[in-house]
Amino acid sequence: MIASSFWLPPDISAHGSQIDIIIKYLHWFMAVLFVAWGSYFLYCLVRFRAGANPKATYRDAKAKPSKMAEVVVIIIEAILLVGFSIPVWAYYRSEPPGNDANPLTVRVVAQQFAWNIHYPGPDGKFGKSKPELVDEAINPIGLVDASEDPNAADDYVSVNIFHAPKDRDILVRLSSKDVIHSFAVPLLRVKQDAVPGMEIPIWFKAEKTNAEAQEMMKRAFALPASPEGEEAETFVKENRLRVTMADYGSVRKGSTLNAEHLKTLSAAGITSVELAPGFPVNIQCAQLCGLGHYRMKGQMKIYEPDEFEEWYASAGEEEVFDEDEFDDE
Amino acid sequence: MSSDHHAHNPGFISKYVFSLDHKVIGVQYTVTSLIFLFFGFSLMMIMRWQLAYPGESIPLVGGWLGKYLVDNNGVLLPEGYNALGAMHGTIMVFLGVVPLAVGGFGNYVMPLQIGAPDMAFPKLNMASYWVYFLGGVTMLAGFFVPGGAANSGWTSYPPLADIANTVGTHPFWNGQTVWLLGMVLLITSSLLGSVNFIVTIMHLRVKGLTMFRLPFFVWAQFVTSFLLLLAFPPLEAAGVLQLMDRAFHTSFFMPEGLVVSGVVQDQFAGGGSPLLWQHLFWFLAHPEVYVLILPAIGIVGEIIANNTRRPLWGYKTLVYSVIFLGFMSFVVWAHHMFLTGMGTAMSTFFQTTTMIISIPSVVILTALLLSLWQGSIRFTVPMLFALSFLPMFAIGGLTGLPLGLSASDIQLHDTYYVIGHFHYVVAPGTIMALLGGIYFWYPKVTGRKMSTFLGHLHFWPSFVFMNTVFFPMFMVGLAGISRRLWDQTEYVQGIDVQGWVRMSSWGAWALGLAQIPFIINFFYSAFAGKKVNENPWKATTLEWAAPSPPPHGNFAEVPVAYRGPYEYSVPDAKEDFHPQHVPDSQLV
Ligand code: HEM
Ligand SMILES: [Cu+2]
Ligand SMILES: [Cu+2]
Repeated sequence: MIASSFWLPPDISAHGSQIDIIIKYLHWFMAVLFVAWGSYFLYCLVRFRAGANPKATYRDAKAKPSKMAEVVVIIIEAILLVGFSIPVWAYYRSEPPGNDANPLTVRVVAQQFAWNIHYPGPDGKFGKSKPELVDEAINPIGLVDASEDPNAADDYVSVNIFHAPKDRDILVRLSSKDVIHSFAVPLLRVKQDAVPGMEIPIWFKAEKTNAEAQEMMKRAFALPASPEGEEAETFVKENRLRVTMADYGSVRKGSTLNAEHLKTLSAAGITSVELAPGFPVNIQCAQLCGLGHYRMKGQMKIYEPDEFEEWYASAGEEEVFDEDEFDDE
Repeated sequence: MSSDHHAHNPGFISKYVFSLDHKVIGVQYTVTSLIFLFFGFSLMMIMRWQLAYPGESIPLVGGWLGKYLVDNNGVLLPEGYNALGAMHGTIMVFLGVVPLAVGGFGNYVMPLQIGAPDMAFPKLNMASYWVYFLGGVTMLAGFFVPGGAANSGWTSYPPLADIANTVGTHPFWNGQTVWLLGMVLLITSSLLGSVNFIVTIMHLRVKGLTMFRLPFFVWAQFVTSFLLLLAFPPLEAAGVLQLMDRAFHTSFFMPEGLVVSGVVQDQFAGGGSPLLWQHLFWFLAHPEVYVLILPAIGIVGEIIANNTRRPLWGYKTLVYSVIFLGFMSFVVWAHHMFLTGMGTAMSTFFQTTTMIISIPSVVILTALLLSLWQGSIRFTVPMLFALSFLPMFAIGGLTGLPLGLSASDIQLHDTYYVIGHFHYVVAPGTIMALLGGIYFWYPKVTGRKMSTFLGHLHFWPSFVFMNTVFFPMFMVGLAGISRRLWDQTEYVQGIDVQGWVRMSSWGAWALGLAQIPFIINFFYSAFAGKKVNENPWKATTLEWAAPSPPPHGNFAEVPVAYRGPYEYSVPDAKEDFHPQHVPDSQLV
C-alpha cells in the first residue's frame, strides 16, 4: 500500500520526483552492471573450472571490453553527478523559497522527543525565545512574553502536528533545543539534520493534501477468516489503519480499524476492507537522539490553501490537541 | 632489531601469553577478535528479536540481560536497544574486524610473506596486543557500570554523547566515559601496530623481494597501516576532547543555550560546535572503511591466484589502485555529512571525490574478475569464500553510489539502506573473505587442514543467510525507515515492511546457527585435522616455504626471492607453480 515504485513511499512534493528519478536511474544502472558482471562471473566459474580447463593460461587476457566497461561506468557516473545530483542539490539547497513570492515561514525546534512547530502568526514575525524561559509543559520553546517582544503576541506553537497548505512554498528554519535530530518526511523527500546552535533553512512544497495522500495509499486488505483469535488480533495490531471505504453500520469511514469492526464486518459476510493510514504524512527523526528516538514522531496536516488559512486564523485561540486522533495514525 | 629474543628458551608464560613472537601474537589477536565478533553478533541477534517482534519478551536470554537492557518481562528497553546497537557497531569494527584483519592476519602472515624472522619491533607488537586486550575489557566493562553501556551510537555524536549516561550515574564510571577510555586504548593499540607494520615491510624484506614482488596481501596491509597511522590520531584527540567535555564540562562540542529535559545546560560555557566532532570522527571513520576492506581484498587476491592457478590479472594495476584508494579515502569523509546543512560548493566537492574513489574500487573488482579468465579454477573451501566475496562486495560498492550522490542521499541517508550498504561491504564482504583466509592459512598455523565437509556445511548456509539478513534492508530503507529505531512499527511504512524485517531477523538467527560447523571445525581440526606438508595448496609465496607450523624465527634458512609472487602455470614448465624462493636452476 505504502510503496509506489522501487519500494519508495509515494511522493507528494514538488521536488521529490527529481530525487526519485536519480534513485531509479541509479538502481537500473547498478542492476545492469551487476547482471553483466554476474553473468561473466558465472560463465567463468563454469567454463574455467579445473575439470573443463586443466591448464591455466599464464598471460593476462587482453581486456578491451572491460576497459570499455570501466570507461562507460565513469561516463555514466559523471552524467549522474553533473547532470542530476549537483543541480538537484543546488535547487534543494537554493536560497529558499524557490520562486514563490509568498512562502509560509515556520520555525521548527526539535527536542527530545518532539517537534515544536513555531508559527509567526498574522504579523509574520517570530517572537524571541530564551532558554531560561523554557517550560516543557506550557512553553516548550521558551517564547518571551508579549510585553517584552510584541512580535511574540500572535505566535503559535504546535507540538508534533505540522499544519501546512499545499501548493505553497514552505520555508522551515530548523534548529534544536538539545541534541542533534534530523527532520525527515519521507513522503515529501525532505531530510535535514537539526543541529543545536545552528538555524538551518530548508524549504519544500507539498502538492497533495492529507486526504489526497490517503487516496494514493489506500489498499484492500483481506480480512482474517475468523474475527476472533490470534490471527484477528495480529491483523488489527499490525494494521493500525483507517477505514477508507464507505460507512458500514458502526464501521465509519475514517475510523481506526478495531476488533469490533472485524466482528461487524465478518457477521455481514464482508471479506475485505479498504484501509489507508490515518496520518499518511509522518515526520520521523532520522538521527539517534536518545531513548525516545524511535517515537519522535510528528505528523504533517496538509490542507487545501483556503482550509489552511481558516485553520491559521483560529490557531492561536483554541489549542485542540486530539490525543486520540494523533495517537493511532 | 628482532634477533635479541631468539637466543633464550622461553617458559610457558613468555611463550604463549606475553609472547614476542609475531605468530603467537597473531594467533592471540585472531582468537580474541573471533570471540569479540561472535559476541558483537550475539548482541545483534538479541536486537533483531525486538525488531521482528516489537515489545515481546526475548526468548531464552531475556531474563538474563539485567535491568539496564530489559524490563521485568524480559522485553528489550529502548535505551537497552541503543546500548546494544552502539556496542555492536563498536565491537564489530574496533574489536572484531580490524584486529582480525590487521592484528591477526597481518601479524601472522605478513612477516612470513616477506621472509622475515619476526616483526621489526616485537615488544611494540606485544604491547599493541595487550593494549588492545585492555581496550576490549574496558569496552565490555561498560555493560556493568551504573546506567549500563554507552548508548549514543558507535558514532557518539555530541551533544548527545556529551550528556549521555550522566544523570544518576557515577561521574567517571559510566557507559559513555568508559567507551571513550576504551577507544583511546584501542586507537593507541592500532597506532603501535601500524608503525610496526610499515617499518617491517620497508626494512625486513628478504633479498630479492622488491616492492613489486610483494604479495598483494602485503601491499594491502602496507596501505592499511598508513591509513591507520594517519587517520586515527584526529579521533584520539577528539575522544580526549569529548572526555573533557563530559568530565570537566569544557565546551569543545557544546553550543550555548541548550535545554535538556527542561534543564538549562549552564554547566557548559558553550561556544563549541557539535559538527567539529563529526568532522574529526569521519576523518577517521571513512579511511577506517578501507581499513576494514583492504586486508580482505588482499586475502581474496591471494586465494584467487592460488586457486585459479594463474597470476593475478593486472598486478600493478591492482597495487596502484589500492594506493590511490588509500590516498582518496582521506578526502571523502564529509559524504557522511551532506545533511548537516552543507551548501552546494562543499557537497559538489565531496560527491565528486566520492565518485572518483568508486573508480579504483571498480578497477580492483574488475581485475579480480578478470583473473578468473582462462584460469583452472579449483573450488576449495577458501576459494568458495573468496568467490562469494566478489558479488557481495559488488552489491556493497554499488549501493554506495546512491548514498554518495547528495541528491539521492536526501531520501536514503540514515535509513536502513545505509545499514544494508555498509554491511554488504563489511559482513558479506569482509567477513566472508576473512573466513576464507582462516581456511586458507590454517594449515600453515597448525600443520593440519580444516575439514572440507564442515567447511561446505559452513559456507553454503552462511552465503545464503548473509543475503537473507542484509538484502531486505534495502527495501526497508527505500521505504523510508530510519535506522537505530527500537520499534519501526511506530510508522506506517514500518508496518508495511515488517515482513522484510522478520525475514532479516530469521536470517540473522540462522546465520548464527550456520557458524556452529565452523566453531567445531576450528577447534577439532587443530588436533584431529588431516596432517599436511608445508605447502598443501601448492602456493608460490614465501610463507609456504616455512615449515608448518613455522618455528620461532620462521625459516630453516633465510629465503631469497627469485621472482614475482604469482608465477603459476608458467608456459612450458612441468609444475604449474614456481615458488618465489626456488632458484631457476632447481625448477623442474
Ligand atoms: C554478520 C552479522 C551482522 C548482522 C546481522 C548485523 C546487523 C546489524 C543491524 C541490523 C544494524 C542496525 C541496527 C539499527 O539500526 O538499529 C547494525 C548496525 C551496525 N553494524 Fe552490524 N551486523 C553484522 C555484522 C557487522 C560487522 C561485521 C560490522 C563491522 C565491521 C558491523 C558494523 C555495524 C555498525 C558500525 C553498525 C551501526 C550503524 C549505526 O549506528 O546506525 N556489523 N548491524
Ligand atoms: Cu530526534
Ligand atoms: Cu565514507
